[in-house]
Amino acid sequence: MDFLLSYLALAEIYVLLGLSTNLLVGIAGIFSVSQAAVFGVGAYIVAQSLMHGVMGFVPAVLVAAVACIVLNILVTLPSLRVSGDYFVVTSFGIQLLATAVFINWTEGTGGANGLPGIPPPDIFGYALETNEQLLMLTTAAVVLGCLVFWLTMHAPFGRLLRAIREDELAVAAAGKGVLRAKVSAAALAGAFAGSAGGLYATFLSFIDPVSFDLDASILLLTMVVVGGARTLPGSILGPFLLLALPQLLTFIDIPTTIAASARQFIYGVLLIAFMLFRPQGIVGEKL
Amino acid sequence: MLAVQLLINGLVTGAALGLVAISFSLIYATTKLFHVAHAGVYTLAGYVAWSLSTRGLPDIVALLGAVAAAVVVGALIQGVLYAELGRRRATHLVVLIASLGMLAVMQNTISAVYSPNILQFPVPWRSNLVSVAGVPVTVTHLLTVAVSLSAYAGTMWFFHRTILGKQIRAVASNPFLAEITRLRPQRVYVIVVAIGSAIVALPGVLVPLDLGLQPFSGINPLLTATIAMIAGGIGSITGSFVLAVGIAVLQNLSLLFIPGEWSIGITFGIFVVFMLFRPTGLFPAGR
Repeated sequence: MDFLLSYLALAEIYVLLGLSTNLLVGIAGIFSVSQAAVFGVGAYIVAQSLMHGVMGFVPAVLVAAVACIVLNILVTLPSLRVSGDYFVVTSFGIQLLATAVFINWTEGTGGANGLPGIPPPDIFGYALETNEQLLMLTTAAVVLGCLVFWLTMHAPFGRLLRAIREDELAVAAAGKGVLRAKVSAAALAGAFAGSAGGLYATFLSFIDPVSFDLDASILLLTMVVVGGARTLPGSILGPFLLLALPQLLTFIDIPTTIAASARQFIYGVLLIAFMLFRPQGIVGEKL
Repeated sequence: MLAVQLLINGLVTGAALGLVAISFSLIYATTKLFHVAHAGVYTLAGYVAWSLSTRGLPDIVALLGAVAAAVVVGALIQGVLYAELGRRRATHLVVLIASLGMLAVMQNTISAVYSPNILQFPVPWRSNLVSVAGVPVTVTHLLTVAVSLSAYAGTMWFFHRTILGKQIRAVASNPFLAEITRLRPQRVYVIVVAIGSAIVALPGVLVPLDLGLQPFSGINPLLTATIAMIAGGIGSITGSFVLAVGIAVLQNLSLLFIPGEWSIGITFGIFVVFMLFRPTGLFPAGR
């Protein structure tokens, strides 16, 4: 039962990340392999704040969200101003740089050993310790996240983003700020990733650089691609399906030494297969 | 003396990186696709050479075998995967995600087959020292520089003096016009990716000969080479080669002041500077 609860809570955290990646890749149309890095920044900020008793869980998550918003704006603004393809370089660069920081800045991140013993989340002083309480917290966060996503997509801003995906040139000709809209979408994506990081760190009570590396970013991209780009159901379905995959793999008898490679191999195959035969994903719209 | 040694290391690394940059630049300038899976071709070449070499085949056969394998895989990626995506009118983003999937498939297949650990080439002569103008240099380093300079000269000759090279440049500058004049861009794309894969196989073998093989080591050189390509001016063979050498020298000399694990930061810093001040590169429109 505990196993099911932790699967649900973890999947819900990844739904927030799926929303984040979907905003960037599906809706703004910006290729990204650095969402795990942003996720990691959020996780480390919340972990350090709670471990040193600087502030409670709620303000720490807010600080993490703001930090990730700023980070995503700084990352997207210069490269989008130049050319869309330059963002591929920025994205890989940010991810590799972040991994280097997570591994080598030992005082801040605990290095490759990670940060153990992160205290449980609290709601204004009331600590949430059992799995049921944690699941309630992540569920509340996901409901809030989905609501924000839905409202954004149905607001004028969301229509502008859709229009940009249909015909960027026409939108620019109509006098709308394309760059501004894309950067705003990236900023919102940062807020989602930062809060997801805070939930992840406190839920697992341990974080290390492996959770936030390039492979993790590819996993996030696979979730969006499989679930479906640009829609709320797609962002929810992808994480639940792909987090069940490692559990399914344990039923097949493969040596543990190649288990990680086998998993990443399957993500790669899924990316290629969906791009070839169903680029809109299971319940998504045209990518 | 340390500075001299670092300068030499920089020049050697730069020569190898220059070939990665040339190969990527050729592919990007012609097909307009961000061929991320190129990093997988680079890695694969090293492992093929290692396999042939450990089976006791002569060194030159191992190198040629690696080049042949890279050509076949590169041509298949373009001729089957990208061509099919093109027929399905896939957007740029879709092709990019498929390419990333291909990279994940290649890297993880290699990791599962050969283990993720570092493998060294069973070649006794690789660390023999020779004296060049009084400075001791390993045979591998000397070979890397010699091969890189010849490959650079060969590429320049091919693209400016042969009919096929001129046809490729014609397709690169205007695929629509090339189609009208019956140059068949799709066929030319396969040829270009095959040539690019052959070129990238050389550093793919020579760099691991010096430093050892690792399945996930392709992304870093590809990213640095892409930065060199952008900084050198997209489409300029000389520009990307020179900038790759420049970046590698800067990276190595920076070791005098900054520890090696932050070198990705230096590379990335160079990219940001170029993006802000000279986004068209040092040698723009040098087709």
